[in-house]
Amino acid sequence: MSGDSVWWRVAWRNLWRHRARTLITASGLAFGYLAAVLMIGLTDGMAAELVENGTGLLVGQVQVHADDYLPERNMYRTIGGRDGTDVETLLGRIEANEDVSNATARLYGGGLLSSGDETKAGLLLGVDPGRERLVSTLLDGVAEGRLPETGAWEVIVGSEMAEQLELTVGDEVVVVAPAADGSMGNDLFTLVGIFHTGTPGIDANYAILPLNDLQYLMAMDATRVHEIVMTVERPWDTQTIAGALGAELEGGDPAVRVRPWMELRPELFEYVSLFDAANLIIVGIIFVMAVFGVANTMLIGTFERRREFAVVRALGTTPGGIGRTVVYEGVILGTIALLAGALITTPILMWFHNAPPDLSALTSGFSFGGSQWRPILRVEYSWQGPIASAVALFITSIFAAIYPAWKATRVPPADALADR
Amino acid sequence: MKGVRALGTSLLFLFAVGPAAVAAQTAREILDEVDRLMRGESSRGVVSMEITTEHWARTLEMEVWSLGTEYSLVRVLAPPRETGMATLKADQEVWNYLPRVDRTIKVPPSLMMGSWMGSHFTNDDLVKESRIVDDYEFEIAFEGERDGEDIWEFLLLPKPEAPVVWGRVEYEVRKRDKMPTSVRYYDEDGDLARSMEFSGFVTMGGRLVPARMDVIPADKPEERTTLIYHELDFDIGLDQSFFSLRNLRARR
Repeated sequence: MSGDSVWWRVAWRNLWRHRARTLITASGLAFGYLAAVLMIGLTDGMAAELVENGTGLLVGQVQVHADDYLPERNMYRTIGGRDGTDVETLLGRIEANEDVSNATARLYGGGLLSSGDETKAGLLLGVDPGRERLVSTLLDGVAEGRLPETGAWEVIVGSEMAEQLELTVGDEVVVVAPAADGSMGNDLFTLVGIFHTGTPGIDANYAILPLNDLQYLMAMDATRVHEIVMTVERPWDTQTIAGALGAELEGGDPAVRVRPWMELRPELFEYVSLFDAANLIIVGIIFVMAVFGVANTMLIGTFERRREFAVVRALGTTPGGIGRTVVYEGVILGTIALLAGALITTPILMWFHNAPPDLSALTSGFSFGGSQWRPILRVEYSWQGPIASAVALFITSIFAAIYPAWKATRVPPADALADR
Repeated sequence: MKGVRALGTSLLFLFAVGPAAVAAQTAREILDEVDRLMRGESSRGVVSMEITTEHWARTLEMEVWSLGTEYSLVRVLAPPRETGMATLKADQEVWNYLPRVDRTIKVPPSLMMGSWMGSHFTNDDLVKESRIVDDYEFEIAFEGERDGEDIWEFLLLPKPEAPVVWGRVEYEVRKRDKMPTSVRYYDEDGDLARSMEFSGFVTMGGRLVPARMDVIPADKPEERTTLIYHELDFDIGLDQSFFSLRNLRARR
């Protein structure tokens, strides 16, 4: 509107009559923007790390089981029932899905590990060491020794379990496990490695051995596994991918259930979802503080211009025209602040993303539900944070201008001109 | 009592004993009598254990030695895959011997409720049976005819501080020869957890014994563990030194 452009121009000029004041107000908003975007990026980074560690260590992003395996984890409920299934074919079908990065099969057993006079109940996990390393970080944590090799009766245990059993690499371990035929499977294994994940439940209870060896110990055929676990190409999209995979595999043969990590680790999912709510509150607080700062500055500006407003009113300007100038000032101020904010935020965001400050010296991080958070201020990029903050900043500056604008429209021309 | 013990005892042996009842006995006196010959006595038997579960069925042949209710030693004779496996119960501990790896392993506390040799007995059953006299109060809950047999039914309630897993045990003994006929175990909610039935009363080793015992878990009625005694001898002159870890390992 051409009639409108006059008011824009007036607003623009008004702003620069007090250059320092305008710049200070704009930088206040710009830093508010930086704070909001950085805060969201940091919590997103924290959430991403918790999810990566919580799923990457053991759970993976999607799991496939026999449909009646969970929650009891009955050892007989292998995929495909008693006869099992062709594991390679099933893995092939799953990996054929373009959203799946890698998949591997696992077998679980409960058993006893014994060395010398020490005996401990443990969880036996049978894995394909080569494939497992592509899917989870469990085997990356081998602190001592090496990975077990199939057919050599080798096992690795967690650091806490090794301590309790007084084991060192090279020792013999008796592994006893109830077998599928009702007998007590038992064999002598060599401890070839000790792993340390930092998650106490895993370090104290898990013994990992090659899948085929555990199948033999438990008198099961090579076709019998409890779990297929996989990583996907877009972890944030796990639910969709698991849904698509479920539509493909469920209801077929063998009867399976596909679950995303959100179902397998609901507490982690809820915890991370909580971060979004926290973001909203933090951004809200930052901008509410900004509202008062901006409103204060603009209110002073309108009080200073009482006489000017009175003059233009006396010359025939409508109150709406005056109010509009003040609001436009807020809009222009917000735009300047947004540009400045984007300018300072971008490099800082990139720096935190690429070289996150490591606070390990100050604090040791924390562990939540088996998921580690290291004290590293990693920032995740997202569109959501900057855009939401930009919208909030804009609304803030307009909102802050409304009260001063309303005050400006209420200036009575005669009184103001008479200095009353 | 016996019944309960029987469980564990299963391995051990059940038996009972003797002569006719005297009128107006207290519950404890009767049960003591039913139990009497077990105490401080040694025995040796050959027993087969048939286990049927939802997933598999198998039969173990075992040789069993016992001394009172405190000590027992069980060695598997067949099938080949498990031949030589042995279990020693001494005091409150249970040890297994695994011939394949030539090791003895003490069953850790966390696995005491686990299955013994895949059967419907737990390791805890082996240990607890010798404590029944200490852990439970007894009373006669029923006396009279049931299913055409004159019986006593004893009710065993755990003493308040007793470390037991059952809320209540019902133990049935027929009056005619003081043979146990059945035992029912109830959990703390009062639901039947499993039952045990005795049958095949024959004379072995000079004594009348129930040669067959069936254990049926209440939640899986199609599953069961059956013990059948083929040989049983008493007073064979064993003492505590027989029930040693060394003997557990000794291959025969």
